[in-house]
Amino acid sequence: MFFRMVKGTFIRQKKKLLMIALTVALGASIATAMLNVMLDVGDKINEELKTYGSNITVVPQSSAVISKLYDTEEEDDDAQTEYIKEEKVGELLTIFWANNITDFAPETDTTVTLNNSEVGLVGTWFNHKLEFKKKGSVYTRDTGVINLRSWWDVESGTMLNEQAVSGDKYAMIGRELAEEKNIKAGDIITVSRDGRNEELEIIGVFESGDDDDNMIYTTLSVVQRLTDTVGYIKKIEVSAITSPEDELAIKAAKNPSLLSGDEYDLWYCTAYVSSICFQIQEAIPEASASAIRQIADSEGKILEKTELLMSLITFLSLIGATLGISNLVTSGVMERSQELALLKAVGAKNGQITFLVLTEIIFTSILGTIAGYFLGYGFAQIIGHSVFSSGVEMSGMVAFIVSVLIIFVTLIGSIPAIRMLLRLRPSEVLHGGH
Amino acid sequence: MNKKRKMFIRMIVASLVRRRSRMIVALLAIIVGATILSGLGLIYFDVPRQMSSQFRSYGANIIIAPESDGDVSYEKLQKSITYFPSNELEGYTPYRYENSKIHNMPVTLAGTDLGSVLKTSPYWHIDGELPAKNGEALIGAKLAESLGISKGESVSTVNTFEITGEMESIDIPDYEKYTDPETGETHCDHTLDLTISGILETGGSEEEYIYISLEDVEYLTLSKRGYDIVEVSVASIKDKLSEYTEKISKDIDGIKAKLVKRVTASESSVLSKLQALVFIVTAVVLVLTMICVATTMAAVIAERRREIGLRKALGAFNSSIVGQFMGEGLLLGAVGGILGSVLGFLFAQYVSQHVFSSPITFRPLLIPITIVASVIVTGTACLMPIKSAVEVDPALVLKGE
Amino acid sequence: MENLLELKNISKIYGGLKALDNVSLNVRKGEWLAIMGPSGSGKSTMMNIVGCLDKPSTGEVFFDGKDVSKESGKKLTELHRDKIGLVFQQFHLINYLNAVENVMVAQYYHSMPDEQEALEALERVGLKDRAKHLPSQLSGGEQQRVCIARAIINSPQLILADEPTGNLDEANENIVLDIFRRLHKEGTTLVVVTHDPEVGEVAQRIVRLEHGKIVSDRENEHFTD
Repeated sequence: MFFRMVKGTFIRQKKKLLMIALTVALGASIATAMLNVMLDVGDKINEELKTYGSNITVVPQSSAVISKLYDTEEEDDDAQTEYIKEEKVGELLTIFWANNITDFAPETDTTVTLNNSEVGLVGTWFNHKLEFKKKGSVYTRDTGVINLRSWWDVESGTMLNEQAVSGDKYAMIGRELAEEKNIKAGDIITVSRDGRNEELEIIGVFESGDDDDNMIYTTLSVVQRLTDTVGYIKKIEVSAITSPEDELAIKAAKNPSLLSGDEYDLWYCTAYVSSICFQIQEAIPEASASAIRQIADSEGKILEKTELLMSLITFLSLIGATLGISNLVTSGVMERSQELALLKAVGAKNGQITFLVLTEIIFTSILGTIAGYFLGYGFAQIIGHSVFSSGVEMSGMVAFIVSVLIIFVTLIGSIPAIRMLLRLRPSEVLHGGH
Repeated sequence: MNKKRKMFIRMIVASLVRRRSRMIVALLAIIVGATILSGLGLIYFDVPRQMSSQFRSYGANIIIAPESDGDVSYEKLQKSITYFPSNELEGYTPYRYENSKIHNMPVTLAGTDLGSVLKTSPYWHIDGELPAKNGEALIGAKLAESLGISKGESVSTVNTFEITGEMESIDIPDYEKYTDPETGETHCDHTLDLTISGILETGGSEEEYIYISLEDVEYLTLSKRGYDIVEVSVASIKDKLSEYTEKISKDIDGIKAKLVKRVTASESSVLSKLQALVFIVTAVVLVLTMICVATTMAAVIAERRREIGLRKALGAFNSSIVGQFMGEGLLLGAVGGILGSVLGFLFAQYVSQHVFSSPITFRPLLIPITIVASVIVTGTACLMPIKSAVEVDPALVLKGE
Repeated sequence: MENLLELKNISKIYGGLKALDNVSLNVRKGEWLAIMGPSGSGKSTMMNIVGCLDKPSTGEVFFDGKDVSKESGKKLTELHRDKIGLVFQQFHLINYLNAVENVMVAQYYHSMPDEQEALEALERVGLKDRAKHLPSQLSGGEQQRVCIARAIINSPQLILADEPTGNLDEANENIVLDIFRRLHKEGTTLVVVTHDPEVGEVAQRIVRLEHGKIVSDRENEHFTD
């Protein structure tokens, strides 16, 4: 009998229940979309912030300090500088947070003579195909400065594509230097150092807006030959997605060994810039990794602000969604007071009526929530694709939160209506017309 | 007519006041919609400005440098600073670099305005204190390590001047003169004693310098000159920044202002994504909220079908019923819009204070927009169910079918 | 006596079902007529057509000598606003308006709301002291009396009552019937649709419907004026 009653109301109240289901679906879709976007916005903005370039530098453990600013001091540099083995670069991708490392490039810089004057020459990877071993298998990965210098404007020629050219005798030249020396894309220049010469074809002229405008960038192997350091590099620039620093990170930054066991585990398994640096040093013991504060700090700050902003917006929209749902549930139940009073008049107990109403409402809400979840999935993907050109990752947790929230809200919304029903005297309703 | 209008108002007021719980349900929906519209609207328009000042944590986005060899004089710097609107200018820091020696090792001294340096380099981590007075210095971590200097220590920087024939005539009694036995040249050493107030960590090339006040540099080098470079931090969009730099470079001879491309290019790309994010989130939430308002209004109307039928049976024309119900709906829309725009402002203000620690820019235009929008949405949401309700045969409704 | 209402060969078909089948009926001015019959006999359809709330599928309806069966919806609305007062089984009071306001609604659509007149109408049904009460604060009988006050406020030529006592106890039923008697004495034409013999048997003339046809039409010999 109970089920026949439920079935009966479903058929008779189709329109009403459809409306409740629709509102629940809308509310659930807002909640789903916003929560997913909120949870994913950190990663998305973090990827966007990668346009600022690397946030970690890796240098040899005991590299000499005095360097570049004054050319005169470059002369005795090599004697002091120690190097990292180039083959160790791949070790970066074996650390715990390897998936957070978006790009990296090894570098060796030096001073060379070009047309009788000294200029800076940087050897690096542009878009190098790196082979590395992880857990016994061999993988390859493209990495290099192409993505680490996103702010470069190539003024003439093109960006150097290592994989499309044969050999390594190519270079990119900074705009100011190119103007000063009257060098254009397509020219062939000769650079020399300690009696070694290299002929390089200029592929493009770039504007960087900083000191690089007075530099030449070439492939790593050219500089290694010029400086007689084949197989070695001076520095690695690393760009990694990191979590904003908090108290634990600050405490750890001073000295990880002072952390308690639990704190250490938490710190190690969180993508703080300090824990990533620590893991890089573990993977390449002869190196020292440190955060580039200008990038790492600002990233943290902007991420924190964006996440906070999004969570407050999400909070507002959740309030909107929940109010909308509980509103409609309340008015939906109230509207049926007459029918329910009839049930009371024929002897149904309060408990039975409450149970009947709740069963209907919850069943309707469940249908609405399922529809709303998929609708919300669609909205989240629209947001992701239109803003970040990539889908938003759906978190299973959201499905859970949304269903709990909706059930909770539906029940809350039913309370005033049910209280009213219980107070109801059948004769009043049936005689009262409305 | 007056009596009729009085009755009209009496009916609407009675409907709103005596059907309080239903009206609150509808009003709440409208208020939430209006709050979202005005709150997110305010945030949307304020995000670029608020975020832009957050992005200043990347430090200077404009540098002013001498055009060729030479320096940026104090006067030229002051003149160029006037090109930046004062509400956008976060700060500027001049630098003058000089070579010197500590423990006989060559070092680079950077003379700067230590009071404003954190405005253009907010990312500096200082172990210790910024120098508060002349005679104190901040030393880069790498330099400190290689020189074996730690915080709180005192060091001496020494500049060696070659005394040429001309200079010998100048009376410089304070300085010890000596003659280089190999070259036979006469030198004098000028020493500046410094207390290391802090160690600077940045992870960048700043760690290789020692920072002191501009007065100390002048004292040590016995020379007064302009700056090698000036860093400027301006909270503004890229297009405006390049406008400023072009004007400065054109108007003031001998100096050029450049964008720090790494900072400006990246900022505008990230910022535009952020604004787009807030925009689309606002749009999606707003559309869904409007549908919610519409379904709520439709439900509120639907439960009054019987009343509509009765009014028709009493001889009301359709237009008269539509008029009364729309009157109610529009009144609700207006009240909801007003309350919503106030709540929206409070929400935006809270967000702004909480996230950005600065008040939101109040945009008065958003209030009428919110009110008009909520009146329109409520009106449209009411119109359709009312229209369909008045089409229904009163005989059917009154029979309770 | 002059006819107020003439129904000529009226049929009403819902879907394939004949609710009224070729019915003819005259109602004289000042007459108190009861239309009786079991449920499904076509009473409600009859009531809707008499009250100009609905139009017949075929046949003609003359109200006060005028053919109204071909009139537009707007004209019909004007007609039942100006000439007919309706009393419902379910009362149909607007639940957020108090008694006097409910009466004034009828004035509002008819001509001009006048609280004094509305109060007088309530006085006629004995409810003046309950004028400021909401329907939910009134008993069923009181609600029905408000409904009657609303029906008579515009001095209609015809009062049409659909099961007016269907939801009332005996005491209230008697009060309502007393009001009808008074209205009849004042010369108002009354048409009462009911299945309740006690209500039907007090009328001046009784028409019995079955399966959409009039099966009997008689003057009530027990009618007492």
